[in-house]
Amino acid sequence: MDISLIFSQFLSGLSRGMMLFLIASGLSLIFGVMNILNFAHATLWLAGAYFCYTFWYLMQDYGFGLWVSIALASLALALIGWFIEVVLIRRVYKRELPEQLLLTYGLILVIGDLIKLIWGVEDKIIARPPLVAGPVFFFGIPFDSYFIFVILVGFAVAVGLWWFLKKTRYGHIVRAAVFSREMVSALGIPIPRIYTGVFVLGIFIAGLAGAVQAPVGSITLGMDMAVVVQAFCVVVIGGFGSLLGTFVGSMIVGEVYAFSILFWPQGALVLIFIVTAFILIVRPWGLFGTPMRA
Amino acid sequence: MKTKAIVIVCSFILLGGLIGLNSSLAAEPYHLGVNLAITGTGALYCKDGIDAIKLAVDEINAQGGFLGKHPIKLFIRDTHTKPDVGVREAKDLILRDKVRCILGSYSSAVAAAFKPVCQEYKVLHIPAISNSENITKINFSPYTYQVVPNSYMQAKAVVLGVAELAKKKGWKEYVTLASDYEWGRSTQENTVQLLKQFAPQLKLKKEFWPRLGETQFTSYITAIMAQKPDFAYGCLASKDNVAFNQQAKAYGFFDKIPYPGSLISVSELIIQAKTLTRGLIGLCRAPFFAHMDVPMMADFVKNFKAKHNRYPSDWAVMEYDAVYVLKQGIEKAGSIDTEKVKGALKGATIDTCRGRLFFRRIDNMLSCSSYIGVVADDPKYPFPIYHDLVEVTGPESWRPEAEIVAARAAKK
Repeated sequence: MDISLIFSQFLSGLSRGMMLFLIASGLSLIFGVMNILNFAHATLWLAGAYFCYTFWYLMQDYGFGLWVSIALASLALALIGWFIEVVLIRRVYKRELPEQLLLTYGLILVIGDLIKLIWGVEDKIIARPPLVAGPVFFFGIPFDSYFIFVILVGFAVAVGLWWFLKKTRYGHIVRAAVFSREMVSALGIPIPRIYTGVFVLGIFIAGLAGAVQAPVGSITLGMDMAVVVQAFCVVVIGGFGSLLGTFVGSMIVGEVYAFSILFWPQGALVLIFIVTAFILIVRPWGLFGTPMRA
Repeated sequence: MKTKAIVIVCSFILLGGLIGLNSSLAAEPYHLGVNLAITGTGALYCKDGIDAIKLAVDEINAQGGFLGKHPIKLFIRDTHTKPDVGVREAKDLILRDKVRCILGSYSSAVAAAFKPVCQEYKVLHIPAISNSENITKINFSPYTYQVVPNSYMQAKAVVLGVAELAKKKGWKEYVTLASDYEWGRSTQENTVQLLKQFAPQLKLKKEFWPRLGETQFTSYITAIMAQKPDFAYGCLASKDNVAFNQQAKAYGFFDKIPYPGSLISVSELIIQAKTLTRGLIGLCRAPFFAHMDVPMMADFVKNFKAKHNRYPSDWAVMEYDAVYVLKQGIEKAGSIDTEKVKGALKGATIDTCRGRLFFRRIDNMLSCSSYIGVVADDPKYPFPIYHDLVEVTGPESWRPEAEIVAARAAKK
């Protein structure tokens, strides 16, 4: 087996894994802290891609258009996340899981239809700036230059989240709230505000992921359903609520997919589900998670 | 007094009868169902198709409807590109909306799923986008008339072109990349079989099967490049095709590996006007620019552009043709009765935007062409079109009748 072939497939798996990490990290963060399983996460990711298209469309004549659009789309989604948390999610914290799922599933339908109303059913395409439109070569192996940006964003989000959770006071409070909301509340720290912040951060990352995905192919309705299953596989493998687990899970899914395409193209997705099912059976809380709270 | 009462009652009965008779003679509307993918992966193609259907319906209704007296009433449903939803919507169209004909669908799997429903309820079915040959080849339904070149015809058109190129360039090995669903599977299988026949020196090195709706093809692109095939054959449609082209270009894929004959419809030519690699050898099903000499096509393009401010795609052309196929079937039958229309369409010659075509009797397949050409800019249009266009006609490309008979016998 040619080593360059292995390296090429590794890079491809890395980029796929990073894209999944960007989607799954917000999902995992929200569940880990708030115990809310947000089914609509991937639909908000899709909204991020559409927002990015709109901002890019307005600035397409400028070289910086795409980069500014990615930032603006992430902020727009953060704003939407804040609205959803304050108006809807806040009301179901103490409800049973099925009710939470019903609400977030309803959000998929509402947001999906809103996207259709606003942007229509036609596919949208963002033309990449020349800097990231062609290949770069590592030891003679071509690699899509845009995915270097994707990988860098993925690492930045991973490091940023780690720094935020481990090194900042707010992060310490968030982590404390995971273990005992009552104790944090007893210290006079307003839990609802913490939750709003976490939800907004999670949706900001979803928006960022969607915006980063936007120039990869075409943006179209239904894309969210295609990725949501893999995002859930990532968090199941890594462990709900674990940042490290989400990162490792993303890499596992990305690399398993990339290498199975090389060796067993027909079974690429099957292998991912086999890994996920195996983890669910032997360690239901995932590789780096902790048993779920009641 | 008694006689007067009898006369009045009889007059009312007679008047009522006349009114009833008159209303039944005057305009029973023709209920026409459309079962296409308004959302999901097929939405890109189907929006154009629906716009064209509406245009055709408006034109026919402006003349009083079918036969000048049956105004068309449209019922449009969304299959979501899911067979179960397609079947549900088809049943609903038939039982609730009382449609006499259903146009659709986008996905061959969906069309194949609701074909038996149409047959069971004796409703005409005209697929104009979904093109798996299995829709008409096996489990034959006399109610289904296909107006899009089927997967075998498209595969054969590509094969004839690829075989020629392989001979010229000395190609020996190739890989395939096809969407993992009914259309992708059947087109890939047909292509591989035909290549064995027309270019026996070619060896299939590997098959790749991305799922329908794949958004990231990087792993496939690098895996194909690693195989170093002489060429790659792709069967990807709609947004999958767009995503692959975008990403493959960014890998320099097309500079290294010839990629002849993948489906690049007018939709892709328009959407990717700025980004599509020039010089690609693509395949399409009904490019309007190939038939601007046909008055029906010239009028359609003019009217479609006037109404929607854009050029029609292949999908628009074929759905527009589907409505006019139905119109001509009704005119030939002299009635909107489905059994009579079905009989009238059997072997019928039809005027379409793509010229005068006919239905083959054995499988109700329209003798429509496939088109292969080189993607190139053209000053007449704000997007690239095909140059050096080769038209492979239906009779040149469709499956021999003996093979269809054998396939049906084997199925039994």
